[in-house]
Amino acid sequence: MIPSPDTTRGRVATILGSDIPADLITQGTGGEIYIRVDTPGFSRAVSQLAASQFTLIGLFGVEAFGNNPGTSVLYVFEKQDHLLVLVPEESGPLPSIARIFPTATWFERECRDGFGFEFDDAFDTRRLFLHEPYPDGFHPLKKSFVNAPITPRRNISPADEYPFRKVSGDGVYQVPVGPVHAGIIEPGHFRFSVIGETIFNLEIRMFYKHRGIEKLLEGKVPDTCMPVAEAVSGDESVANATVFCMAAEQIAGVTVPERAWYLRTILLEMERMTSHLGDQGGMLVDVGFPLGANQFFVLREEMMRANDRITGSRFLRGMIRPGGIERDVPEAVISDLAVFLARLKKRYQAGLKIVLSTTSVIDRFATTGVVSRSLILPLALSGPVARASGGTEDTRVQHPYGVYGQYIPAVRSLHDGDVLARFTVKAAEVMASLDLIERLSREMPQGPVLADFSARDGYSLALVESARGENLCWLWIKDGRVERCTFRTASFCNWQAIEHAAQDNIPPDFPVINKSMNLSYAGTDL
Amino acid sequence: MMVNALSCFLRKKVTEDEPVHDVEIERIGSAIKSEINTVFGRSLAIRELDTGSDNAAEIEINNLSNPFYDIERFGITFVASPRHADVLLVTGAVTHNMAIAAKKTYEAMPSPKFVIAVGDEACSGGIFAGTYAVLGGVDTILPVDLKIPGNPPSPKEILAGLLALMKKAQTAGRSPAP
Repeated sequence: MIPSPDTTRGRVATILGSDIPADLITQGTGGEIYIRVDTPGFSRAVSQLAASQFTLIGLFGVEAFGNNPGTSVLYVFEKQDHLLVLVPEESGPLPSIARIFPTATWFERECRDGFGFEFDDAFDTRRLFLHEPYPDGFHPLKKSFVNAPITPRRNISPADEYPFRKVSGDGVYQVPVGPVHAGIIEPGHFRFSVIGETIFNLEIRMFYKHRGIEKLLEGKVPDTCMPVAEAVSGDESVANATVFCMAAEQIAGVTVPERAWYLRTILLEMERMTSHLGDQGGMLVDVGFPLGANQFFVLREEMMRANDRITGSRFLRGMIRPGGIERDVPEAVISDLAVFLARLKKRYQAGLKIVLSTTSVIDRFATTGVVSRSLILPLALSGPVARASGGTEDTRVQHPYGVYGQYIPAVRSLHDGDVLARFTVKAAEVMASLDLIERLSREMPQGPVLADFSARDGYSLALVESARGENLCWLWIKDGRVERCTFRTASFCNWQAIEHAAQDNIPPDFPVINKSMNLSYAGTDL
Repeated sequence: MMVNALSCFLRKKVTEDEPVHDVEIERIGSAIKSEINTVFGRSLAIRELDTGSDNAAEIEINNLSNPFYDIERFGITFVASPRHADVLLVTGAVTHNMAIAAKKTYEAMPSPKFVIAVGDEACSGGIFAGTYAVLGGVDTILPVDLKIPGNPPSPKEILAGLLALMKKAQTAGRSPAP
């Protein structure tokens, strides 16, 4: 249901505190409002949005968009159910807004790498996803670059190496960790500056796994994009496939059949549970409590086998597609799932009881790795990380999609912001997902699971709540093919909170802090 | 509809625990164990290396240590340093950003050493083959002894792959360096 232009214009005037001509405002198909601005108007709008406590949740470049033949930069702001997209119309450099919206720091660096787009007065102009092997002047998201193998730089002199922030003083020493870590996890670099045993500063460097996902999607027809969307982050396959499909369906004006949304929602919630169970087990491994950890690892393996029975994939892959889902799930499989989950619930509660009554676990979890509530807004934190620090937002509630409008998940919010709070929030979310799936499988209507989908041209913004938080996808279809697609997973923003969470802790607690935040490297590096 | 609901209600419920004992895993596991005993002096040390996966393969490799598989009982350990490793288990297409670290990891391993590519991307570059950000499969930078395809391969398939490597290590010569 698209609101009338007058209503939209009224909303914009209320938010920005000034009347914007109607021809500069467009209502998007995903509930977002596009506002075209000149550079002075952009600066005014940014100040006003900051004053009104909006969060910058996305910032990305796009070429030949609208009237601008060069690179346009789109700024996505969110507050509760409001979604505004500022589109500055000039093609020259824009003022950096990183001092006002700290999330812009990585976004602007990403945009500079991708398009060679400059931001005036930026305080951090280091490359982000293009590491040392990439040649100077290389900008892969420009349309003039055709996706093909490149020749990386072979000899990298010390002068070309990435400059980390310098931390110096009496007794400060550096502990460099990664990109290859001791455990079986993804690569990233952590530069700890430590005084005695206490972490004084942490700087992270990511993007070792940059695989060029966004460029790879360009030129594909939406139906063939699913394996790439699922590869954004393996354990978020359903969430990222869904957010991509939602954007494509909004553009095409396709209504997904109700039964398909019930099934999609079951898959989304199973993915959340699988992810949380793995985190909880991992957190217990990191504090040396295998008895507790294995309670959750056993359940997680059983979840992955249940995933396999429903979809033929332990990662629930190959089901989500534009227009609905690939194939229906037989009633018998659904009722077996309900029985399985009812049993799992009892054993899960028994596992929680063991963990939460073990003092050595509580001792390691409590007061460790605190994420302050004041970071949520400036860093655009979302998901369990935000909700364990006093955040109350959940995309399923703020921007309900599919059947979440009827099946509103219980949102648990805690205030301590430590590892224990994140563990407890995840426990509550597993219980809430179990309840949701139970209701969905009982009340699921019969009917088709796939609508006719044919791509239509246009662009749209979609948001979903993955296990890690809010995932965003902005998609532009031109001549039936992807012209530009950008993903921003919750991890991209949540990673930046770890630099704060680690401070004043000791390096041996870092693994459990990291695991409690459950950050995807692949989903950040794209 | 009524009959269906009734039969769901009356049908015997599946209430027993998921069996932890799996005949096939035990068979593969004990075969691996006897190979490890003869070829590797009773213990096989594996170092995992992610050169650009989507993290699904890491999850399955981690799952090999959960109580359903518990592969440590077959003489297999995952080690923290490449200096302790016999086998490098590599996941993901090799990104430009990881290529240097990947080579250094391999070079840090003592000889004789083996490399296994786990998952479609590690085997051939998969969906990323021919794009700007990756060199391709693992064999573009390291000599690969065995490829285990899959999106991602299941723990059982990875285990079967390890058995195949044990057999190969005993009989065949080493792969040439690329």
